[in-house]
Amino acid sequence: MSGKETRYTLWYEETDGQDFNHVGKKNANLGEMIKAGIRVSPGFSITIYANDRFITDTGIKEKIEAYLKELGPVTFETTKKASEYSIDLIESASIPAEIEEDILSNYNKLCQLAGTANVPVAVRSSGAISMPGQMETYLNIRGEKDLIAYVKKCWSSAYNVEAIMYRANKGTGFLFNIGVGIPKMVNSRVSGIIFTINPLNGDPSKISIDASYGLGEAVVSGLVTPDTFLVDKITFDPVKTTMGSKEVRCVYRDNGSDIIQADVPADMRQRLCVTPEEVRELCRLGKLIEDYYGKAYDIEFGIDADLAFPGNIIILQVRPESVWSKKEVTARTEKKKDPMERILGQLLTGVKLK
Amino acid sequence: MAGTTFMDPHDVPAIPGTQGWEKMYPYQYQFSKEDPERGAFESSQIWYYDGLHYPEPHYPFDLIWDEAWSLALSQYNTRHFIIPPALGIDHRIVNGYVYITPVGIPDQEVVAKRVPHFLERAGYYYQNWDKLYENWKKKVTALIGELDALNFTELPEMEDISIVTEGVGKGCGFDLLKKYDDLINMGLLNWQYHFEFLNLGYAAYVTFINTTNQIFPGIPMSTLTKMVSGIDVVMYKPDSELIRLARLAIDTGLEEMFMRPLNASGLTQELEKSPAGKTWLAEMEKARYPWFYISTGTGWYHHHISWNDNLDIPFDAIRMHIRSIREGKEVGRPTDKLVQERDRIVGEYRKLIKTDDDREAFEQALAVARTVFPYVEDHLFYIEHWFHSIFWGKVRQIGRILQKEGFIEDVEDIWFLKRDEVKQALWDYCTAWATGVKARGPSYWPKEISWRKGVYDKFKNWAPPPALGIPPDVVTEPFTIVLWGVTTDVLGEWLKGGGDGEGQQMEFKGSPGSSGLVEGRARVLKNVSELADLKEGEILVATTTSPSWAPAFVKIAGAVTDVGGPMCHAAIVCREYGLPTVVGTGKATHIIKTGDLIRIDGDSGVVTILEKA
Repeated sequence: MSGKETRYTLWYEETDGQDFNHVGKKNANLGEMIKAGIRVSPGFSITIYANDRFITDTGIKEKIEAYLKELGPVTFETTKKASEYSIDLIESASIPAEIEEDILSNYNKLCQLAGTANVPVAVRSSGAISMPGQMETYLNIRGEKDLIAYVKKCWSSAYNVEAIMYRANKGTGFLFNIGVGIPKMVNSRVSGIIFTINPLNGDPSKISIDASYGLGEAVVSGLVTPDTFLVDKITFDPVKTTMGSKEVRCVYRDNGSDIIQADVPADMRQRLCVTPEEVRELCRLGKLIEDYYGKAYDIEFGIDADLAFPGNIIILQVRPESVWSKKEVTARTEKKKDPMERILGQLLTGVKLK
Repeated sequence: MAGTTFMDPHDVPAIPGTQGWEKMYPYQYQFSKEDPERGAFESSQIWYYDGLHYPEPHYPFDLIWDEAWSLALSQYNTRHFIIPPALGIDHRIVNGYVYITPVGIPDQEVVAKRVPHFLERAGYYYQNWDKLYENWKKKVTALIGELDALNFTELPEMEDISIVTEGVGKGCGFDLLKKYDDLINMGLLNWQYHFEFLNLGYAAYVTFINTTNQIFPGIPMSTLTKMVSGIDVVMYKPDSELIRLARLAIDTGLEEMFMRPLNASGLTQELEKSPAGKTWLAEMEKARYPWFYISTGTGWYHHHISWNDNLDIPFDAIRMHIRSIREGKEVGRPTDKLVQERDRIVGEYRKLIKTDDDREAFEQALAVARTVFPYVEDHLFYIEHWFHSIFWGKVRQIGRILQKEGFIEDVEDIWFLKRDEVKQALWDYCTAWATGVKARGPSYWPKEISWRKGVYDKFKNWAPPPALGIPPDVVTEPFTIVLWGVTTDVLGEWLKGGGDGEGQQMEFKGSPGSSGLVEGRARVLKNVSELADLKEGEILVATTTSPSWAPAFVKIAGAVTDVGGPMCHAAIVCREYGLPTVVGTGKATHIIKTGDLIRIDGDSGVVTILEKA
């Protein structure tokens, strides 16, 4: 026993995949990625135990159980009432001081790491069982007050009507404690996509990187022509680099979580948005992810303006490459009986000029 | 490139005030329509300016190496190894600049008939490569020994008595003329040896490049070099000798002496005062022969002097190494790491090959490339550096005789004479000496040389068009592919380029030498003695770089050169140091000024001036 079961918070790097019952699956996965050397945005989990202590110590648990008895059999109507009752209780209660201090102390460490007060974070629900999309995630939460408010909102989101129904259908109980993830929002100076192959011809000896200023939106949705880097996967030597026009970047609106477009100044457009060291680090991470999962991957990344290299290179999302990995592989060279025949073949072919 | 043609080689305008320039070079180097058949051939070929070897117009004497390789390269393709689809490379000269063209064999029946001969002859060399190469080193080293022993002195007032008493029966004048012929013949023989392996080396290398490119499209040249690169490479030996001497200076307490602002002779005098200093000097003497015969350029021009010609250069380099060692920097080539890295790269690439056919192709091509690569890398030291450096010195001995006799005003004027004209001048000198009369040379050559210098300066200010004539559909000549890198892209760039070498050109193109993109302040160095001016992080801009510049590579962020192709040694060195490099721009040292902010793209070969100093 590691004592994790009585912790209110755990930094991502303190956990691994086995800890899903302490921090929820999403959070435990992040810990697992860090173990593998894959850099994710720094942050911590608020444990399921903290959620349990909150509803127990504040008396919420008892009140809900009593209210449920009052409501009687489960119908849509009663579920809605139970949901409203629970959410209201959770959001209006105070978090026990011990837990709140722990959360805020970690938050302040994140602020220090980013070198800024009130660093924006995400507040992400993370259940110990998969409940895709049933609970809430909040982006761009700034400052202690909002953080505490949104942690409670996140906890209460386990009592959305849909979440309650979902659990009821699965035969799980009404009360449901979840983990909450508090990662630093990636303040993406640059973001983009890494393919661990050449996506144009399936060549597995290359890594391809598209990168542009601001949030990933601009590259993913094709709003801009990004800088592109084709790199030798084995030596990390650049093969082909092209400079994109990068006219606009996507950024979060000040004090909001919606995305707006802004023009990129001319001098920034006329230079590459990532340094050679950053390209190498992106390649290293891409190769690491490919090796870890044992196949070609498509990876979203951000480069965080608040953090120092190489800690600023953050992996946002990974998924297996889906086009070339499905194609049948055929030989690309002609068969020759010996090296002399091969040299002869080359000499006779020559290099076409027209 | 359908429909692409360049200016007809017969239509290149003459430069005003240079009329009669043709006599500075052999007559067969001229484009001419006198013979309609030869004229039609000239018009139908692609002729490209050999900027790779010749960033400057030709001095009449220096053309010896062009003629030498014209004979040697071509004969090995055409007559020795019977390369099936390729004959030799033909040469011309326009306004002082050499243009060359690969000559193919259009008739497929002829090509087919050449195939069995090629397989037999080239096969013999590939199979016996290492044994033949060992023998080659012996031949070349013996030839260099012979060259070194050759010395040119003035003719005596009276023949030595022994000539009479020993019944020698011949005179010093005859000997001088014969020795001159010997010198020239040694030079030409040296170039016969140069190509004994090189054509086959390039054929194997181009096979490796194209096979690996089929399997891994766009695999960088730097990766290929790392896969085949030798570890005990002769070209790196001069620099490793300097490092040895730098460490010796530190170990024997001499380093402070090296930090003093003394030139080579001042420092030598100081060193001679102490036992440790004497020991050090003795070690340096050992290193000098042959390793200080490394040229500060490519060795192609007489003014590419060697370290032995100016000891300030190696002394400065030793000083830089001492500083780097004291600062705890890694100096020289980490050979253990390079071996590990080579094995890792090849191992990882092997794992990525997905079919048996591709695996077999890769292994075949890699094995042959590794066989030939030591020669491809090392021959440069033996021929262009060691032999040439001594050779230029011998010609200067003759220059001193001619200067003393008033044939030329300055020793360095000798380069304005063709090699046959030097022979004529020596005849003039010897017969006048024999007869006891005044030679005509002193009244003939100074005037002629003065005119030639004027013509040469006009050549220098002329921008040679990159290509003339009509490109063929396919190039099969291995050197044209690997060394000069003639491709559709390159032709396209040539077509864009052309006339205007002048003015505020902010972007131009060379060949990708070593991949990577870098921005920085330029430092234009005209020769190696200015290396001390280099600051950390600057981009080196030079006519060419050679291994004698190695101490600079720990400091710079990248390099741009006027001369060189992807396989030239400068590019190989820069790839090893991982420096983004563009080679063969033809004009970087003229366009870029020290302090300019420039960007170089070692992948596309583009050099951009972002901000003038």
